[in-house]
Amino acid sequence: MNDNLHIFESLKHYPLTIQFVWGLSCVFFIFIVLLTIYLKYLRNHLRVNEKIEAKYQEVYESHLVTYLYAGNDDKVFSPEQQVIINELKKDVADPFKRKIIISTLLKLRSEISGEIGESIDKLFIKLGLLRYSLAKLRNKKWDVIATGIRELTQFKIKAVHKMVLNNINHPKREVRKEMQLYLVHLYGFNGLEFLNVLETPLSEWDQIQLLEILQLNNDTHVADIKPWLNSSNDSIVIFALKLAKVYNQLEAKEELITLLNHKSEDVRINVISALSHLHLFEAKTILKNNFSERSEEEQIAFLKMMENVYEASDKPFLLEHVHHKNSEIRLSIMEILKNINFEEYTLDEADIKKMLTA
Amino acid sequence: MSTIKKIVLAEDNSVLSLLLKFRLEKEGYKLFMALDGKQAIELIEEHNPELILTDIMMPFVSGLEVISHVRNKLNMQTPIIVFSSSGQEEIVLKAFDLGANDFMSKPFSPHELVIRIKRLLI
Repeated sequence: MNDNLHIFESLKHYPLTIQFVWGLSCVFFIFIVLLTIYLKYLRNHLRVNEKIEAKYQEVYESHLVTYLYAGNDDKVFSPEQQVIINELKKDVADPFKRKIIISTLLKLRSEISGEIGESIDKLFIKLGLLRYSLAKLRNKKWDVIATGIRELTQFKIKAVHKMVLNNINHPKREVRKEMQLYLVHLYGFNGLEFLNVLETPLSEWDQIQLLEILQLNNDTHVADIKPWLNSSNDSIVIFALKLAKVYNQLEAKEELITLLNHKSEDVRINVISALSHLHLFEAKTILKNNFSERSEEEQIAFLKMMENVYEASDKPFLLEHVHHKNSEIRLSIMEILKNINFEEYTLDEADIKKMLTA
Repeated sequence: MSTIKKIVLAEDNSVLSLLLKFRLEKEGYKLFMALDGKQAIELIEEHNPELILTDIMMPFVSGLEVISHVRNKLNMQTPIIVFSSSGQEEIVLKAFDLGANDFMSKPFSPHELVIRIKRLLI
């Protein structure tokens, strides 16, 4: 005690800066000690929670598998299933246990299809979990809304699509994406109707995901893409062009040709690619006539199209542009000319080198 | 001699493993369950099963490595069914190159799996 007093006494004789630094060091030391204690407590708390969670998960997994194999061929629940439902219902009221029950159901639902999958969907509703998922849709936090929609998608809850659709132009991209996946997962091509009212852009990744789900659904009733080709949202037009390519939408020929004059260059490039894919070669004449007015990207896309549809009559057009300032365009033209194999068109090596280096 | 056919199931989703165990034991098979590829290899070497079911993506040792080990190191011709997810088409092709006999894309129906197992174990 006397020693401590002596330290404090001697500190008084030091300059103010030294006293301040000592004071600050003491504060930091106390702060670090408190933080270490708190982190240790937090780590222990999380470990205990993990153990409890693992224990409950094991119990719920066992309940779930027993429930799935306790069913009979009737539509009603068997007495054994009813016992498990009653057990689980008691735990649903507790948010911690409810979270584990939902994650256990989801863990199996995402891996299983057929009758067992449908049985899990029925259990989700029977346990009253739908109420909690719908409550999430009314939450203010965007991540909670997205989780709620994902649960509805995975348990295939169709009846609430109007509530889900309210998020069509949600400011958060993640919520919009979940809403789009919900609609396309559950309604196939009919679910794409959200494109009629979507105001925000549909990202490239969203488009890829939607196309993948449509292909997995094996829905043979392909929607009419014409309204989306006329959309004021460019990303929707580009998505519709992808649909036209994947599902060979030849019926939309006129709309596709009209899009060659679209205000967006990106759309025009995608249209040329779609027209080429669909072998709609009427567009060739139009594109040849205004080739010089188009951007270099469009010209390259058009020449790629021409590689599949060249004719002897294209020779004057190709020769007219063979000295184009863009080397990629020059190369494409020479490639087509080589394929046409004009007898009179002979270039010696020196000419080719000259053109490529021009 | 026992006529019960042995199956090694390598799957890291515990609830799916449990579900398949129940179903396949009901069909009269004896199941050995592994939560990763490493455990699967140990069980295969220990029990010499009549069939192997393996997920492609697993911790420590993947399904592809399990197939490669069975075909190239152990030189076993045991039928192998691979579980894959959507978007893993190229990995499934690699699995076939390594010697897998069949594949099932998740989500799958356990009923269909039983039919495929019976076909392979005739």
